[in-house]
Amino acid sequence: MPANNLLRLASRIALAATLALTMPASFGEATTEAQLKAAYLVNFLKYVEFPGTRTTVNLCLFGRDSLGPYLAAYEGRQVGGRELRIRRVNSPEQIADCQELFIPDTEEARLAAVLRWVDKQPILTVSDAETFTREGGGIALIRGDGRLQFEVNVEALNRAGLRASPQMLRLAKPMTSATR
Amino acid sequence: MMRNCLSIALLAVFSTASLAAGDTLEEMSLEDLVKTDITSVARKSQSLADVPAAAFVITAEDIRRSGAQALPDVLRMAPGIQVAQIDNGRYAVTARSFNGRFANKLQVLVDGRSLYHPLFAGVMWELDPIPLEDIERIEIIRGAGAVMWGANAVNGVINIITRHSRNQTGAAVSVTAGSKGTADIYARVGQAVSDSTSWKLSAQARHIEPSRQYTSAADSVDRLNNAVIDFRLDHDIGGGRDLSLWANASRSKTTELWNTQPDFSQPGLNVSSLTPNQVLSSESLVGRYRWLGDSGIESSLQASLNHSTIDIDHFVNESLTTVDLDYQGRFAVDRHDILWGMNHRSTRDEMSTNEPYVSINSRHRTQRDTGFFVHDDWTLLPEQLKLGAGIRVASTTANGSNVSTNATLLWTPSRSDSLWLKYASAPRTSARAERDISILTGASVVQTAIPFPPFTANIPVIGYVNATGKLAAEKSQGVELGYRKQISPNASADINVYRYRYTDLRSGQQTGMFGCHRMFEPAIPVDASKCAYFGLPLGTPVLVNEMQAINGLAAWNDGVEISADWLVVAGWRLQFSYSWSRLKADRSSNVVANEDGNIMERAAPRHHVSLRSQWNITPSQQFDLWLRGTSGMDRLNLVDTVPNASGAATFSRIPGYATVDLRYAYRVNKDLEFALIGRNLVGRQRLEYLSDYIPTAATEIAPTWLISTHWRF
Repeated sequence: MPANNLLRLASRIALAATLALTMPASFGEATTEAQLKAAYLVNFLKYVEFPGTRTTVNLCLFGRDSLGPYLAAYEGRQVGGRELRIRRVNSPEQIADCQELFIPDTEEARLAAVLRWVDKQPILTVSDAETFTREGGGIALIRGDGRLQFEVNVEALNRAGLRASPQMLRLAKPMTSATR
Repeated sequence: MMRNCLSIALLAVFSTASLAAGDTLEEMSLEDLVKTDITSVARKSQSLADVPAAAFVITAEDIRRSGAQALPDVLRMAPGIQVAQIDNGRYAVTARSFNGRFANKLQVLVDGRSLYHPLFAGVMWELDPIPLEDIERIEIIRGAGAVMWGANAVNGVINIITRHSRNQTGAAVSVTAGSKGTADIYARVGQAVSDSTSWKLSAQARHIEPSRQYTSAADSVDRLNNAVIDFRLDHDIGGGRDLSLWANASRSKTTELWNTQPDFSQPGLNVSSLTPNQVLSSESLVGRYRWLGDSGIESSLQASLNHSTIDIDHFVNESLTTVDLDYQGRFAVDRHDILWGMNHRSTRDEMSTNEPYVSINSRHRTQRDTGFFVHDDWTLLPEQLKLGAGIRVASTTANGSNVSTNATLLWTPSRSDSLWLKYASAPRTSARAERDISILTGASVVQTAIPFPPFTANIPVIGYVNATGKLAAEKSQGVELGYRKQISPNASADINVYRYRYTDLRSGQQTGMFGCHRMFEPAIPVDASKCAYFGLPLGTPVLVNEMQAINGLAAWNDGVEISADWLVVAGWRLQFSYSWSRLKADRSSNVVANEDGNIMERAAPRHHVSLRSQWNITPSQQFDLWLRGTSGMDRLNLVDTVPNASGAATFSRIPGYATVDLRYAYRVNKDLEFALIGRNLVGRQRLEYLSDYIPTAATEIAPTWLISTHWRF
């Protein structure tokens, strides 16, 4: 590109940038949906009772990692009296050591496989796949009415030997059609 | 399809939530989180942190907010993808140079169904494969991807994933109308029959009145009429099994202005134009079954049947039937994530051509392609280091067997940094047209001094390629290095460099020359029968330069691609991409190949820039702006009637450009939206492309204004 064309392009980009900078910035603090999901994942650990006594709690992210950068800030914190560790996992062996397992909806094709792996193990499964609880998962994060809400499949939690606090169940969105 | 789950898109991010002042997210209780409003919802592949390839994702939101009305215009936002509009419906689209109307180094799939046409190994972009509204996301992976994606994934893969019918229930209508006689209607109905079964049916029709010719400002003939109808049925059987069925039919009608009809009744070269009508149609049926074995093996079997026709008045008529069977399996065990698959594809064509312009070796041909691949992602150090390796062995009746390989190394020193290295090789199977079609390729006028009696003659020279029936596959291999950084929760950047080596690229080779006048003898013989075949009466002072396609060219392709994504404030997002590329062909003793190399190099623009701004003025108003530009290029003049003493190829310059698209949308309620769209607003009279292979008249890319209504009910 000849220099004058580049210059012209640059000046147009600069113009757009100035145009944009004059926009009001009154939207408050920017928080991404991913940050919100990360906060949910940490919070669930406070409201679910896990069997046994441990000093650490492992929050595992399955497959392609979408929330890792947002959870990094929580690593090493005390959650419900236990030290939080964030792990990325990809296979049944790695999953065995998790207390909470997040499966992103981009891994939807592997959902059923993962649920089979964790069956009857004390692992809290969470996903942002819409149909997660209906497929036998523990908690689904669902976008609706302009908010991020969650559904709890109590039966799935019971099967895993986990107990959700009544406070959490009160805040949960009722499951639309429980097939299980 | 299984590839989707491998997919790079991770829905991260960039929707915004408004928080009560003073609260930080970490301190919020579940009660607060449930009440947090999401003011805008946008999905974006942002966390590509663990993909060891140059990847980019275009979301449905990006498509809608771009104001683009056709798929190729959407692709312009991806770094490394080069798009040039030829006329209302036709586009040249490529990844990393080698662009052309018949660009052949890009694989394009819709839900796993390949759109590439084996006649020329490219895509007919004038045929809408799927309404834009039905697209969930587009994943673009630049660089060789032949191991997983098969032949033609030489410079990149464009993977279009349509929306699940579960998310398309109810009814919707979109109507768009605007300048240049543009009209676009889209309608959809869908239903969730039960918890596990849903379907949708959508239809779209597009119309655009003819553009103006670039040189004469007279009307061109590229009036476009397109229609597409798409049906999808999804059934979740349970237990990790699901079934999907797609049925799709599309049709496109347009005309083109060809400067191809030479007239030798006067001295020199006079060309008159032809305006052939072109009708394209395609119908396909695809079924996919996914299941989960007891051992944890996930499988996907997809079968598709496609029938398509190309009918160009008095020129080419082709009918093509393709059957494609594809299996993929995936098994994650220990530190390995193994993916394997096999594919068989059979295409049968029936062609008729108009000689002498075009002729074909055999009117029917069946081509069979079979391939097997296996790929493993091996975690060497958990959360730190991952090694990937894969191989595909394939065999095609066109080119015999070939092997593609890849190897990747991904290092993630922290959750916000990732560095990857990739090696990959890919073959490009030669296309039916390259092997079997003989065609007039162009004409120029050489100014020659005739010694006796001494005078200067302007001798038209016609180029003609004789099909040999044989052309081997082109080969490519290269390395790439990439780095991704999550700068903050609201900003990320991605940079990669590549260097690829191409060998056995198709080029020409001179095989002979004949004349239709005795004055050239004895240097150039007269071939009476061939002159008769071309309709050149004996005594016409015309030369015909005969060539054939050979694998005679090698080249280096280097480049840098940068993209960045920044949520500046809650309602304002900027996305930037820039790419630089350089194509350098080797020189050899083959004069024609050298000329081909020169033509290829000069046709590749160096710079591409895109900056998109998405601003949510209020929850019900959006203002979007897209600045994009590219540097210039030179295109060969296929037909040059101006006498030229050296006989060397002449070129036309396509200047670089920068232009702006705007979109203002107002949402009346959650079901009704109006938008005002302006496209190509800067640059009143410009062109983006001059056609190759067929000497067409250039059309002007003009500013257009559109008003669009989207109604859901």
